[in-house]
Amino acid sequence: MSLLLRTHLRLARASIKQNRTRSFLTCLGIAIGIASITLILSLTGSISNLISQEVVNIGSDLIVVRPSRSKETVTSIVEELTSANSFERSSLSLVDVSAISAVEGVTAVAPIAVSTNTLVNETNTIPSATIIGTTPDFYTVEPLALKYGVFLSDKNSDNAIVIGHELALNLYNTSNPVGRTLTFYGQRFIVVGVLEEIDSTVNFDNINFNNALFMDIETMEQLMDFVQIQQINVRALNTSLLEPISSNITTTLKENRYGDTNFSVAYGDAISHPASSLLNIISGMLALVAGISLVVGGVGIMNIMLVSVSERTHEIGIRKAVGASAYNILMQFLFEAFILSILGSILGIFLGYLLAFLVSLVTPFSPYISWVILVVTVLTTLAIGIIFGTYPALKAARKRPIDSLRHYQ
Amino acid sequence: MDDNIVIKLSGLTKRYGYGDTASFALKDFDLTIKRGEFVMIMGPSGCGKTTLLNIIGLLDRATDGEYILNGEDVSDISSSRQARLRAKKIGFIFQDFNLIQNLTVIENVALPLVYVNRPRTVRLKAASAALNRFHLSEREYYRPSQLSGGQQQRVAIARAIVSDPEIILADEPTGNLDSRSSSIVMDELKAIHEEGNTIIMVTHNPSLTVYATRVINMLDGQIDTDVKTVADYNLPQPISIKTKKRRGRNKISSKEISRKENF
Repeated sequence: MSLLLRTHLRLARASIKQNRTRSFLTCLGIAIGIASITLILSLTGSISNLISQEVVNIGSDLIVVRPSRSKETVTSIVEELTSANSFERSSLSLVDVSAISAVEGVTAVAPIAVSTNTLVNETNTIPSATIIGTTPDFYTVEPLALKYGVFLSDKNSDNAIVIGHELALNLYNTSNPVGRTLTFYGQRFIVVGVLEEIDSTVNFDNINFNNALFMDIETMEQLMDFVQIQQINVRALNTSLLEPISSNITTTLKENRYGDTNFSVAYGDAISHPASSLLNIISGMLALVAGISLVVGGVGIMNIMLVSVSERTHEIGIRKAVGASAYNILMQFLFEAFILSILGSILGIFLGYLLAFLVSLVTPFSPYISWVILVVTVLTTLAIGIIFGTYPALKAARKRPIDSLRHYQ
Repeated sequence: MDDNIVIKLSGLTKRYGYGDTASFALKDFDLTIKRGEFVMIMGPSGCGKTTLLNIIGLLDRATDGEYILNGEDVSDISSSRQARLRAKKIGFIFQDFNLIQNLTVIENVALPLVYVNRPRTVRLKAASAALNRFHLSEREYYRPSQLSGGQQQRVAIARAIVSDPEIILADEPTGNLDSRSSSIVMDELKAIHEEGNTIIMVTHNPSLTVYATRVINMLDGQIDTDVKTVADYNLPQPISIKTKKRRGRNKISSKEISRKENF
């Protein structure tokens, strides 16, 4: 049996070689489909890698408290990401912050309240800059480093602020504006520190720290009457305590709010859950579109195989006359379709990774290679080969030998 | 009972079309061919010669009648069984050679062995030996189109005998050849016949009947005349390998006999 398979393989190879251009064009159809699937899977893989890398960077001992229930279903995730959620009033308050600080095993609590305002100093005006109200703990919770000065602390006066690297340049045209003043919310503030430039592309807080201003959250509340706490980042004593601490936080907050559960507590991979879920949806849809191009490639294979079968009718007749059974002929043509699709998929994988590499030159998404991608693409092409090769092969196998012999070459 | 009967056709009918448009290529055709015969079938165009050859060669099926090949009733076998028998027991030679142009000469000759599952080296060795017999050894890796008509037909004959078949069917093998090539091809066929092979050949050329041991003239799907030019006991005897084969076959035919006796 294996002998006959080898023979079929050799026959298919010979016939593909004979029609080089045609075979190449057929392969190209499959290759483009496979290349787009590979590219999409590689890009989404690299993005989700970046996201989980970000979680690792921030620390595995991090617990995040968010002001709404965690979303599980696809529609609610999309809803969360598309609706004007950020304008809703946050359910988290400074009371919650101090309640969380009191939970055993919690070493640092950093609320993030985001607001925007126009910043004015002697020389420049920056409209709608990002202002983050937080606590001194922010410095220990987030992976930040200071370039000049100090971070917010209890020893500073209430009107101390820290600014990001880029904002410093934009406002003062210098990288070290420590001691200079700034006016917003109708009040004057003093710059006490400047952050080191942060080279982080994906930030699950959705804020560019390079271009942000940090101030004391209590001062912020006094000036604005209330603060929108988007998130509370909590650092635990150690990783093994994440589970009990987060359930303690949940119970504490629940008690504080008389049973209201409109908040979520997450740690580990669950932190990036909404983003990765959305990514999965998008990549699935893109793969579907790429799948359509693969189907077009498959139809190309079927087309070429049909041409090949009718061109080689005479040959089929001869083969049958010297003893080939319908099964032999079927296998011969099926193998040819198979080899075409496998060559196409190999070409496609190379092409896809080449594209992914080119994309990585201009974006932070490095090509992501995994056996899952390879298995998915190879299985898809095998299926394509079978689905689109069967009909022409059956047509060849069913030809009557006498009629085929009469068919002129 | 004669163990040496290779082909037995009885009441064979091939009809094309139905009802008023029905026409018969073969009508109630009876024929028995013994081992070692060189049968030439002649007759005007459309008398059913080629249809007969196709049915004997298991490329076509009769509408009605019985066909016993080597003691096996093959009238109603499946097409895959037909293919197996074609591969093992029948060698074809065609008027227009029917070589696959994309394959080399040696691959063409080895082709029948592909379908009886011989390893590649065995196939090529057998093909090489067959080609050597027809003085085509230096042409093994040529393409068919690089050979003359006579050479191509000799390649086709090599292909027909490579799997050592029971019968060789030739459909006007000299039809496309000049007289010189024709006589070479006929000499080769004669040599094959003298080794004990059974050959059935269709031809239009009356001068070729000198090679035959039996000449059948067909008319309108039936036998017109049937002349044996050589007595049965003068038929060439198969060479040793064939004798070995026949011992096995004897068992089958004795079974056949006992089955018939039970009726």
